Amino acid sequence: MSAALNDPATGWEPLIVAFCCNWCSYAGGDLAGTSRMNYPANVKVIRVPCSGRINPMFILRAFQRGADGVLVAGCHPGDCHYSTGNYHSRRRLSAFKRILEFVGLEPERFEVRWISASEGDKFAEEMEAMTGKIKALGPNRKMRDARWKSKSLSKQLK
Amino acid sequence: MEEQISEQTVKVKKAVSQDLLGGRIDLLLGWEKGHYWWQSRPLFARSEKDLERLVWDSFCAVNLSRYLQDELKENKKIGVLVKGCDARAFNRLLQDRIVERERVILYGLPCPGMLDYARLTEEGGSDLEGIIEQDGTVILQTKEENKEMPREELLLARCRNCMHPDPVVYDQMLFTPLGDRERPEHFKAVEELERLSADERYTYWEKELSRCLRCYACRQVCPYCSCLECFVEQKSPRWQGRAYQPSENFMFHLVRAYHGTGRCIDCGECERVCPVGIPLMELNRKLIKDINELYGHYEAGLDPEQEPPLLTYRPDDPAAFSEK
Repeated sequence: MSAALNDPATGWEPLIVAFCCNWCSYAGGDLAGTSRMNYPANVKVIRVPCSGRINPMFILRAFQRGADGVLVAGCHPGDCHYSTGNYHSRRRLSAFKRILEFVGLEPERFEVRWISASEGDKFAEEMEAMTGKIKALGPNRKMRDARWKSKSLSKQLK
Repeated sequence: MEEQISEQTVKVKKAVSQDLLGGRIDLLLGWEKGHYWWQSRPLFARSEKDLERLVWDSFCAVNLSRYLQDELKENKKIGVLVKGCDARAFNRLLQDRIVERERVILYGLPCPGMLDYARLTEEGGSDLEGIIEQDGTVILQTKEENKEMPREELLLARCRNCMHPDPVVYDQMLFTPLGDRERPEHFKAVEELERLSADERYTYWEKELSRCLRCYACRQVCPYCSCLECFVEQKSPRWQGRAYQPSENFMFHLVRAYHGTGRCIDCGECERVCPVGIPLMELNRKLIKDINELYGHYEAGLDPEQEPPLLTYRPDDPAAFSEK
Protein backbone atom coordinates (compact mmCIF):
# COMPACT_ATOMS: atom_id res chain seq x y z
CA MET A 1 0.00 0.00 0.00
CA SER A 2 1.40 3.34 -0.90
CA ALA A 3 2.37 5.64 1.91
CA ALA A 4 0.52 8.59 0.36
CA LEU A 5 -2.82 6.82 0.74
CA ASN A 6 -2.03 6.09 4.34
CA ASP A 7 -1.22 9.70 5.09
CA PRO A 8 -3.75 11.24 7.48
CA ALA A 9 -3.24 14.59 5.71
CA THR A 10 -4.96 13.26 2.57
CA GLY A 11 -8.07 12.57 4.59
CA TRP A 12 -8.50 8.87 3.87
CA GLU A 13 -10.92 7.27 6.26
CA PRO A 14 -11.41 3.52 6.48
CA LEU A 15 -14.75 1.88 5.87
CA ILE A 16 -15.58 -0.85 8.34
CA VAL A 17 -18.61 -3.08 8.07
CA ALA A 18 -19.84 -4.56 11.34
CA PHE A 19 -22.38 -7.37 11.23
CA CYS A 20 -24.08 -7.27 14.62
CA CYS A 21 -26.40 -9.86 16.04
CA ASN A 22 -29.83 -8.48 16.87
CA TRP A 23 -29.97 -9.78 20.43
CA CYS A 24 -26.60 -8.88 21.89
CA SER A 25 -24.17 -6.82 19.86
CA TYR A 26 -26.73 -4.59 18.16
CA ALA A 27 -28.29 -3.90 21.56
CA GLY A 28 -24.74 -3.32 22.86
CA GLY A 29 -24.29 -0.71 20.13
CA ASP A 30 -27.62 0.79 21.12
CA LEU A 31 -26.49 1.02 24.72
CA ALA A 32 -23.27 2.72 23.63
CA GLY A 33 -25.42 5.27 21.82
CA THR A 34 -27.94 5.91 24.60
CA SER A 35 -25.08 6.16 27.09
CA ARG A 36 -23.52 8.87 24.91
CA MET A 37 -20.33 6.90 24.30
CA ASN A 38 -18.38 7.81 21.20
CA TYR A 39 -17.19 5.38 18.59
CA PRO A 40 -15.83 6.15 15.10
CA ALA A 41 -18.33 6.89 12.34
CA ASN A 42 -16.23 4.67 10.04
CA VAL A 43 -18.14 1.70 11.34
CA LYS A 44 -21.31 0.86 9.42
CA VAL A 45 -23.52 -1.52 11.35
CA ILE A 46 -25.61 -4.17 9.60
CA ARG A 47 -28.09 -5.94 11.81
CA VAL A 48 -28.44 -9.70 11.45
CA PRO A 49 -30.66 -12.06 13.45
CA CYS A 50 -27.70 -14.06 14.77
CA SER A 51 -23.98 -14.40 14.15
CA GLY A 52 -24.92 -17.83 12.80
CA ARG A 53 -26.77 -16.01 10.00
CA ILE A 54 -23.44 -14.83 8.56
CA ASN A 55 -22.82 -16.36 5.19
CA PRO A 56 -19.10 -16.12 4.35
CA MET A 57 -20.18 -14.59 1.06
CA PHE A 58 -21.43 -11.54 3.02
CA ILE A 59 -17.87 -10.98 4.17
CA LEU A 60 -16.37 -11.40 0.72
CA ARG A 61 -19.02 -9.13 -0.79
CA ALA A 62 -18.19 -6.43 1.76
CA PHE A 63 -14.53 -6.57 0.75
CA GLN A 64 -15.50 -6.56 -2.94
CA ARG A 65 -17.61 -3.44 -2.48
CA GLY A 66 -15.03 -1.37 -0.66
CA ALA A 67 -14.82 -2.41 2.99
CA ASP A 68 -11.37 -2.00 4.52
CA GLY A 69 -12.30 -4.19 7.45
CA VAL A 70 -15.15 -6.49 8.43
CA LEU A 71 -16.24 -7.29 11.95
CA VAL A 72 -18.76 -9.90 13.01
CA ALA A 73 -20.14 -9.40 16.51
CA GLY A 74 -22.35 -11.86 18.34
CA CYS A 75 -23.48 -12.98 21.78
CA HIS A 76 -20.97 -14.57 24.12
CA PRO A 77 -20.83 -18.36 23.73
CA GLY A 78 -23.61 -19.84 25.82
CA ASP A 79 -25.77 -16.71 25.57
CA CYS A 80 -27.17 -17.19 22.06
CA HIS A 81 -30.83 -16.25 21.70
CA TYR A 82 -31.22 -19.34 19.53
CA SER A 83 -29.17 -21.46 21.98
CA THR A 84 -26.42 -22.66 19.65
CA GLY A 85 -26.07 -20.17 16.76
CA ASN A 86 -22.82 -18.65 17.94
CA TYR A 87 -21.27 -22.02 18.77
CA HIS A 88 -21.70 -22.90 15.11
CA SER A 89 -20.48 -19.53 13.89
CA ARG A 90 -17.39 -19.84 16.08
CA ARG A 91 -16.35 -22.95 14.16
CA ARG A 92 -17.37 -21.62 10.76
CA LEU A 93 -15.84 -18.19 11.10
CA SER A 94 -12.61 -19.57 12.60
CA ALA A 95 -12.14 -21.73 9.52
CA PHE A 96 -13.10 -18.84 7.25
CA LYS A 97 -10.75 -16.41 8.95
CA ARG A 98 -7.89 -18.86 8.51
CA ILE A 99 -8.58 -19.35 4.79
CA LEU A 100 -8.87 -15.58 4.24
CA GLU A 101 -5.47 -15.16 5.82
CA PHE A 102 -4.15 -18.04 3.73
CA VAL A 103 -4.99 -16.24 0.49
CA GLY A 104 -3.24 -13.13 1.74
CA LEU A 105 -5.68 -10.93 3.65
CA GLU A 106 -4.14 -9.23 6.69
CA PRO A 107 -5.47 -10.87 9.90
CA GLU A 108 -6.61 -7.49 11.30
CA ARG A 109 -9.05 -6.90 8.44
CA PHE A 110 -11.48 -9.62 9.49
CA GLU A 111 -12.39 -10.04 13.12
CA VAL A 112 -15.03 -11.72 15.24
CA ARG A 113 -15.99 -10.43 18.70
CA TRP A 114 -18.47 -11.43 21.37
CA ILE A 115 -20.27 -8.36 22.72
CA SER A 116 -23.31 -8.63 24.99
CA ALA A 117 -26.27 -6.23 25.23
CA SER A 118 -24.91 -4.78 28.47
CA GLU A 119 -21.43 -4.13 27.10
CA GLY A 120 -21.94 -0.73 25.52
CA ASP A 121 -18.45 0.29 26.61
CA LYS A 122 -16.92 -2.83 25.08
CA PHE A 123 -18.78 -2.14 21.82
CA ALA A 124 -17.35 1.37 21.66
CA GLU A 125 -13.85 0.13 22.59
CA GLU A 126 -13.84 -2.64 19.99
CA MET A 127 -14.99 -0.29 17.23
CA GLU A 128 -12.32 2.19 18.26
CA ALA A 129 -9.62 -0.49 18.29
CA MET A 130 -10.65 -1.95 14.93
CA THR A 131 -10.72 1.49 13.29
CA GLY A 132 -7.28 2.27 14.71
CA LYS A 133 -5.81 -0.97 13.36
CA ILE A 134 -7.30 -0.50 9.90
CA LYS A 135 -6.11 3.11 9.78
CA ALA A 136 -2.60 1.90 10.51
CA LEU A 137 -2.86 -0.73 7.74
CA GLY A 138 -4.18 1.66 5.11
CA PRO A 139 -6.80 1.11 2.42
CA ASN A 140 -7.60 -2.43 1.38
CA ARG A 141 -7.14 -3.36 -2.26
CA LYS A 142 -7.24 -7.13 -1.89
CA MET A 143 -10.32 -8.89 -3.23
CA ARG A 144 -11.82 -5.54 -4.19
CA ASP A 145 -14.02 -5.30 -7.26
CA ALA A 146 -12.01 -3.42 -9.91
CA ARG A 147 -15.11 -1.41 -10.82
CA TRP A 148 -15.58 -0.14 -7.28
CA LYS A 149 -14.76 3.54 -6.84
CA SER A 150 -14.37 5.27 -3.53
CA LYS A 151 -15.01 9.01 -3.53
CA SER A 152 -12.18 9.80 -1.16
CA LEU A 153 -9.81 7.31 -2.82
CA SER A 154 -10.37 8.50 -6.38
CA LYS A 155 -9.83 12.08 -5.24
CA GLN A 156 -6.45 11.13 -3.85
CA LEU A 157 -5.47 9.13 -6.91
CA LYS A 158 -6.00 12.06 -9.29
CA MET B 1 2.15 -55.78 -15.85
CA GLU B 2 0.01 -55.57 -18.97
CA GLU B 3 -1.17 -59.16 -18.59
CA GLN B 4 -1.78 -58.74 -14.90
CA ILE B 5 -3.94 -55.66 -15.47
CA SER B 6 -6.02 -57.36 -18.11
CA GLU B 7 -6.24 -60.37 -15.81
CA GLN B 8 -7.64 -58.00 -13.24
CA THR B 9 -10.09 -56.61 -15.79
CA VAL B 10 -11.29 -60.15 -16.48
CA LYS B 11 -11.80 -60.74 -12.79
CA VAL B 12 -13.75 -57.51 -12.39
CA LYS B 13 -15.93 -58.33 -15.40
CA LYS B 14 -16.65 -61.78 -14.04
CA ALA B 15 -17.63 -60.43 -10.65
CA VAL B 16 -20.04 -57.81 -11.98
CA SER B 17 -21.52 -59.71 -14.92
CA GLN B 18 -23.44 -62.12 -12.66
CA ASP B 19 -25.21 -59.26 -10.92
CA LEU B 20 -25.86 -57.21 -14.07
CA LEU B 21 -27.01 -60.07 -16.28
CA GLY B 22 -28.86 -61.71 -13.40
CA GLY B 23 -30.89 -58.52 -12.99
CA ARG B 24 -29.69 -57.76 -9.48
CA ILE B 25 -28.58 -54.32 -10.69
CA ASP B 26 -29.99 -52.18 -13.52
CA LEU B 27 -26.81 -50.31 -14.26
CA LEU B 28 -23.13 -50.77 -13.65
CA LEU B 29 -20.84 -47.78 -13.32
CA GLY B 30 -17.32 -48.65 -14.43
CA TRP B 31 -14.67 -47.45 -16.87
CA GLU B 32 -14.01 -48.01 -20.58
CA LYS B 33 -11.15 -46.90 -22.81
CA GLY B 34 -11.54 -43.34 -24.08
CA HIS B 35 -10.35 -41.82 -27.33
CA TYR B 36 -6.68 -42.20 -26.39
CA TRP B 37 -4.86 -45.08 -24.73
CA TRP B 38 -4.16 -42.88 -21.71
CA GLN B 39 -7.81 -42.15 -21.04
CA SER B 40 -10.34 -44.31 -19.23
CA ARG B 41 -13.73 -42.70 -19.20
CA PRO B 42 -16.87 -43.66 -17.26
CA LEU B 43 -18.84 -46.61 -18.61
CA PHE B 44 -22.57 -46.92 -18.08
CA ALA B 45 -23.16 -50.63 -18.68
CA ARG B 46 -26.67 -52.00 -19.06
CA SER B 47 -26.07 -55.12 -21.16
CA GLU B 48 -23.56 -57.87 -21.80
CA LYS B 49 -22.39 -55.98 -24.90
CA ASP B 50 -21.67 -52.85 -22.85
CA LEU B 51 -19.82 -54.93 -20.30
CA GLU B 52 -17.30 -56.09 -22.93
CA ARG B 53 -15.83 -52.59 -22.96
CA LEU B 54 -15.16 -52.55 -19.21
CA VAL B 55 -11.56 -51.97 -18.13
CA TRP B 56 -9.69 -51.64 -14.85
CA ASP B 57 -6.27 -50.17 -15.61
CA SER B 58 -3.94 -47.38 -14.50
CA PHE B 59 -6.03 -44.56 -15.94
CA CYS B 60 -9.35 -45.09 -14.14
CA ALA B 61 -9.03 -41.83 -12.23
CA VAL B 62 -12.64 -40.63 -12.66
CA ASN B 63 -14.58 -40.75 -9.40
CA LEU B 64 -17.69 -42.79 -10.22
CA SER B 65 -19.67 -42.09 -7.05
CA ARG B 66 -20.28 -38.60 -8.41
CA TYR B 67 -22.65 -40.03 -11.03
CA LEU B 68 -24.91 -41.73 -8.49
CA GLN B 69 -26.92 -38.62 -7.67
CA ASP B 70 -28.22 -38.38 -11.26
CA GLU B 71 -28.32 -42.05 -12.12
CA LEU B 72 -30.38 -43.03 -9.07
CA LYS B 73 -33.23 -40.93 -10.45
CA GLU B 74 -33.60 -43.32 -13.37
CA ASN B 75 -32.36 -46.64 -12.04
CA LYS B 76 -33.67 -48.71 -9.16
CA LYS B 77 -30.41 -50.34 -8.23
CA ILE B 78 -26.89 -49.51 -9.34
CA GLY B 79 -23.57 -51.32 -9.08
CA VAL B 80 -20.46 -49.14 -8.78
CA LEU B 81 -16.79 -49.98 -8.97
CA VAL B 82 -15.13 -48.08 -6.17
CA LYS B 83 -11.51 -47.23 -5.48
CA GLY B 84 -10.46 -45.79 -2.13
CA CYS B 85 -11.50 -42.25 -3.06
CA ASP B 86 -14.75 -43.33 -4.75
CA ALA B 87 -15.74 -45.17 -1.58
CA ARG B 88 -15.06 -42.14 0.59
CA ALA B 89 -17.08 -40.05 -1.87
CA PHE B 90 -19.89 -42.58 -1.49
CA ASN B 91 -19.81 -42.18 2.28
CA ARG B 92 -19.94 -38.43 1.81
CA LEU B 93 -23.09 -38.70 -0.34
CA LEU B 94 -24.55 -41.13 2.16
CA GLN B 95 -23.97 -38.62 4.94
CA ASP B 96 -25.79 -35.92 2.95
CA ARG B 97 -28.60 -38.41 2.34
CA ILE B 98 -28.21 -38.09 -1.40
CA VAL B 99 -27.90 -41.84 -1.97
CA GLU B 100 -29.63 -44.72 -0.27
CA ARG B 101 -27.27 -47.46 0.80
CA GLU B 102 -29.64 -50.32 -0.11
CA ARG B 103 -29.98 -49.11 -3.70
CA VAL B 104 -26.27 -49.38 -4.44
CA ILE B 105 -23.92 -52.34 -4.64
CA LEU B 106 -20.27 -51.43 -4.23
CA TYR B 107 -17.48 -53.53 -5.74
CA GLY B 108 -14.29 -52.63 -3.91
CA LEU B 109 -11.06 -52.16 -5.84
CA PRO B 110 -7.89 -51.55 -3.80
CA CYS B 111 -6.16 -48.88 -5.88
CA PRO B 112 -2.40 -48.78 -6.56
CA GLY B 113 -2.73 -45.15 -7.73
CA MET B 114 -3.50 -43.78 -11.17
CA LEU B 115 -0.92 -42.61 -13.70
CA ASP B 116 -0.66 -38.98 -14.74
CA TYR B 117 -0.44 -38.43 -18.51
CA ALA B 118 1.25 -35.08 -17.95
CA ARG B 119 4.01 -36.84 -15.98
CA LEU B 120 4.30 -39.58 -18.60
CA THR B 121 4.91 -37.10 -21.43
CA GLU B 122 7.23 -35.10 -19.20
CA GLU B 123 9.45 -38.17 -18.88
CA GLY B 124 8.81 -39.89 -22.19
CA GLY B 125 8.35 -36.89 -24.49
CA SER B 126 5.31 -35.97 -26.54
CA ASP B 127 5.82 -38.84 -29.02
CA LEU B 128 5.04 -41.39 -26.30
CA GLU B 129 3.30 -44.35 -27.93
CA GLY B 130 2.33 -46.46 -24.98
CA ILE B 131 3.42 -47.98 -21.72
CA ILE B 132 4.07 -51.43 -20.31
CA GLU B 133 3.68 -51.99 -16.61
CA GLN B 134 5.73 -54.47 -14.62
CA ASP B 135 5.74 -54.87 -10.83
CA GLY B 136 6.12 -51.29 -9.67
CA THR B 137 7.89 -50.02 -12.80
CA VAL B 138 6.57 -48.49 -15.98
CA ILE B 139 8.28 -48.83 -19.35
CA LEU B 140 7.65 -45.77 -21.50
CA GLN B 141 7.62 -46.68 -25.21
CA THR B 142 8.68 -44.00 -27.64
CA LYS B 143 9.69 -44.24 -31.33
CA GLU B 144 13.40 -44.39 -30.57
CA GLU B 145 13.82 -46.08 -27.24
CA ASN B 146 12.15 -47.44 -24.11
CA LYS B 147 12.60 -45.77 -20.75
CA GLU B 148 12.03 -47.50 -17.44
CA MET B 149 10.69 -45.52 -14.47
CA PRO B 150 9.42 -46.38 -10.99
CA ARG B 151 5.61 -46.33 -11.05
CA GLU B 152 5.40 -44.23 -7.88
CA GLU B 153 7.03 -41.27 -9.67
CA LEU B 154 4.47 -41.22 -12.47
CA LEU B 155 1.35 -41.11 -10.33
CA LEU B 156 -1.16 -38.28 -10.21
CA ALA B 157 -0.31 -35.79 -7.45
CA ARG B 158 -3.44 -36.84 -5.57
CA CYS B 159 -2.42 -40.51 -5.66
CA ARG B 160 1.05 -39.70 -4.35
CA ASN B 161 -0.74 -38.11 -1.38
CA CYS B 162 -3.30 -40.88 -0.96
CA MET B 163 -3.55 -42.36 2.53
CA HIS B 164 -6.44 -44.76 2.03
CA PRO B 165 -6.07 -46.75 -1.21
CA ASP B 166 -8.57 -49.38 -0.05
CA PRO B 167 -12.31 -48.76 -0.22
CA VAL B 168 -13.66 -48.06 3.27
CA VAL B 169 -17.15 -49.19 2.30
CA TYR B 170 -17.98 -52.09 -0.05
CA ASP B 171 -20.25 -55.06 -0.52
CA GLN B 172 -17.69 -57.20 -2.23
CA MET B 173 -13.91 -56.69 -2.21
CA LEU B 174 -12.49 -57.88 -5.53
CA PHE B 175 -8.77 -57.92 -4.70
CA THR B 176 -6.47 -58.12 -1.68
CA PRO B 177 -6.42 -54.82 0.25
CA LEU B 178 -3.19 -52.82 0.08
CA GLY B 179 -3.35 -51.24 3.55
CA ASP B 180 -3.30 -47.61 4.66
CA ARG B 181 -0.23 -45.48 4.04
CA GLU B 182 1.56 -42.75 5.93
CA ARG B 183 1.96 -39.49 4.02
CA PRO B 184 4.18 -37.23 6.12
CA GLU B 185 4.39 -34.66 3.30
CA HIS B 186 0.63 -34.36 2.96
CA PHE B 187 0.46 -30.73 4.08
CA LYS B 188 3.91 -29.71 2.87
CA ALA B 189 2.73 -27.33 0.12
CA VAL B 190 0.27 -25.68 2.53
CA GLU B 191 2.95 -25.23 5.19
CA GLU B 192 5.32 -23.65 2.68
CA LEU B 193 2.66 -21.11 1.70
CA GLU B 194 1.89 -20.39 5.35
CA ARG B 195 5.48 -19.30 5.88
CA LEU B 196 5.16 -16.48 3.31
CA SER B 197 4.01 -12.97 4.21
CA ALA B 198 0.38 -11.92 3.63
CA ASP B 199 1.28 -9.83 0.57
CA GLU B 200 3.36 -12.65 -0.95
CA ARG B 201 0.49 -15.08 -0.47
CA TYR B 202 -1.96 -12.66 -2.05
CA THR B 203 0.30 -12.19 -5.07
CA TYR B 204 0.67 -15.96 -5.38
CA TRP B 205 -3.07 -16.62 -5.30
CA GLU B 206 -3.95 -13.66 -7.50
CA LYS B 207 -1.59 -15.08 -10.13
CA GLU B 208 -2.72 -18.69 -9.79
CA LEU B 209 -6.43 -17.82 -9.82
CA SER B 210 -6.05 -15.39 -12.72
CA ARG B 211 -5.93 -18.42 -15.05
CA CYS B 212 -9.39 -19.54 -13.97
CA LEU B 213 -11.77 -19.82 -16.94
CA ARG B 214 -14.78 -20.27 -14.66
CA CYS B 215 -15.58 -23.53 -16.46
CA TYR B 216 -16.69 -24.97 -13.10
CA ALA B 217 -15.23 -28.38 -13.96
CA CYS B 218 -13.89 -28.53 -10.39
CA ARG B 219 -17.40 -28.19 -9.05
CA GLN B 220 -18.85 -30.60 -11.58
CA VAL B 221 -16.64 -33.54 -10.55
CA CYS B 222 -16.70 -32.83 -6.85
CA PRO B 223 -18.47 -35.34 -4.60
CA TYR B 224 -19.21 -32.66 -2.00
CA CYS B 225 -20.72 -30.26 -4.56
CA SER B 226 -24.13 -31.85 -4.65
CA CYS B 227 -26.44 -28.84 -4.31
CA LEU B 228 -29.25 -28.79 -6.84
CA GLU B 229 -28.60 -25.10 -7.41
CA CYS B 230 -25.04 -23.89 -6.98
CA PHE B 231 -24.34 -20.37 -5.74
CA VAL B 232 -22.44 -19.59 -8.95
CA GLU B 233 -25.60 -19.94 -11.02
CA GLN B 234 -27.99 -18.38 -8.56
CA LYS B 235 -29.62 -15.29 -10.10
CA SER B 236 -31.09 -13.75 -6.97
CA PRO B 237 -29.03 -12.93 -5.06
CA ARG B 238 -26.38 -13.06 -7.71
CA TRP B 239 -23.35 -14.03 -5.68
CA GLN B 240 -20.97 -14.83 -8.48
CA GLY B 241 -20.28 -12.10 -11.03
CA ARG B 242 -19.19 -13.02 -14.56
CA ALA B 243 -16.47 -10.38 -14.82
CA TYR B 244 -12.92 -11.54 -15.42
CA GLN B 245 -11.12 -9.99 -12.48
CA PRO B 246 -9.37 -11.06 -9.27
CA SER B 247 -12.23 -10.24 -6.92
CA GLU B 248 -14.60 -12.61 -8.73
CA ASN B 249 -11.91 -15.31 -8.88
CA PHE B 250 -11.44 -15.06 -5.12
CA MET B 251 -15.19 -15.15 -4.60
CA PHE B 252 -15.56 -18.39 -6.52
CA HIS B 253 -12.52 -20.23 -5.27
CA LEU B 254 -12.81 -19.25 -1.62
CA VAL B 255 -16.48 -20.18 -1.46
CA ARG B 256 -15.98 -23.40 -3.42
CA ALA B 257 -13.20 -24.49 -1.08
CA TYR B 258 -15.04 -23.29 2.00
CA HIS B 259 -18.11 -25.35 1.14
CA GLY B 260 -15.84 -28.35 1.54
CA THR B 261 -14.76 -27.53 5.09
CA GLY B 262 -14.94 -30.81 6.97
CA ARG B 263 -16.52 -32.41 3.90
CA CYS B 264 -13.66 -32.60 1.40
CA ILE B 265 -12.55 -36.22 1.09
CA ASP B 266 -9.17 -35.19 -0.31
CA CYS B 267 -9.67 -37.09 -3.59
CA GLY B 268 -8.10 -34.35 -5.71
CA GLU B 269 -10.55 -34.69 -8.61
CA CYS B 270 -10.95 -30.89 -8.79
CA GLU B 271 -7.24 -30.40 -9.30
CA ARG B 272 -7.02 -33.23 -11.83
CA VAL B 273 -9.77 -31.88 -14.08
CA CYS B 274 -8.71 -28.23 -13.89
CA PRO B 275 -7.79 -27.33 -17.49
CA VAL B 276 -5.43 -24.55 -16.38
CA GLY B 277 -3.77 -26.37 -13.47
CA ILE B 278 -4.79 -24.24 -10.49
CA PRO B 279 -3.52 -25.89 -7.26
CA LEU B 280 -7.04 -26.18 -5.84
CA MET B 281 -6.09 -28.85 -3.33
CA GLU B 282 -3.85 -26.37 -1.52
CA LEU B 283 -7.00 -24.44 -0.55
CA ASN B 284 -8.88 -27.62 0.35
CA ARG B 285 -5.98 -29.04 2.35
CA LYS B 286 -5.52 -25.77 4.23
CA LEU B 287 -9.10 -26.11 5.47
CA ILE B 288 -8.60 -29.78 6.35
CA LYS B 289 -5.44 -28.88 8.25
CA ASP B 290 -7.08 -26.03 10.19
CA ILE B 291 -10.12 -28.06 11.13
CA ASN B 292 -7.82 -30.82 12.38
CA GLU B 293 -5.79 -28.35 14.42
CA LEU B 294 -8.78 -26.52 15.90
CA TYR B 295 -11.49 -29.14 16.32
CA GLY B 296 -9.75 -32.48 16.38
CA HIS B 297 -8.62 -34.91 13.73
CA TYR B 298 -11.29 -35.62 11.14
CA GLU B 299 -11.13 -37.31 7.77
CA ALA B 300 -14.25 -36.87 5.70
CA GLY B 301 -15.78 -39.98 4.17
CA LEU B 302 -14.05 -42.52 6.40
CA ASP B 303 -16.93 -43.05 8.80
CA PRO B 304 -20.46 -41.92 7.85
CA GLU B 305 -21.52 -42.13 11.50
CA GLN B 306 -19.00 -39.53 12.63
CA GLU B 307 -20.49 -36.03 12.52
CA PRO B 308 -18.78 -33.51 10.20
CA PRO B 309 -16.98 -30.84 12.28
CA LEU B 310 -19.00 -27.89 11.00
CA LEU B 311 -22.32 -29.54 11.80
CA THR B 312 -21.52 -29.86 15.47
CA TYR B 313 -19.78 -27.93 18.27
CA ARG B 314 -18.44 -28.19 21.79
CA PRO B 315 -19.07 -25.40 24.31
CA ASP B 316 -15.34 -25.18 25.01
CA ASP B 317 -14.23 -24.95 21.37
CA PRO B 318 -11.16 -22.84 20.63
CA ALA B 319 -11.42 -19.97 18.13
CA ALA B 320 -9.10 -18.48 15.53
CA PHE B 321 -9.88 -14.99 16.89
CA SER B 322 -9.61 -13.34 20.29
CA GLU B 323 -12.52 -14.23 22.58
CA LYS B 324 -11.84 -11.72 25.34
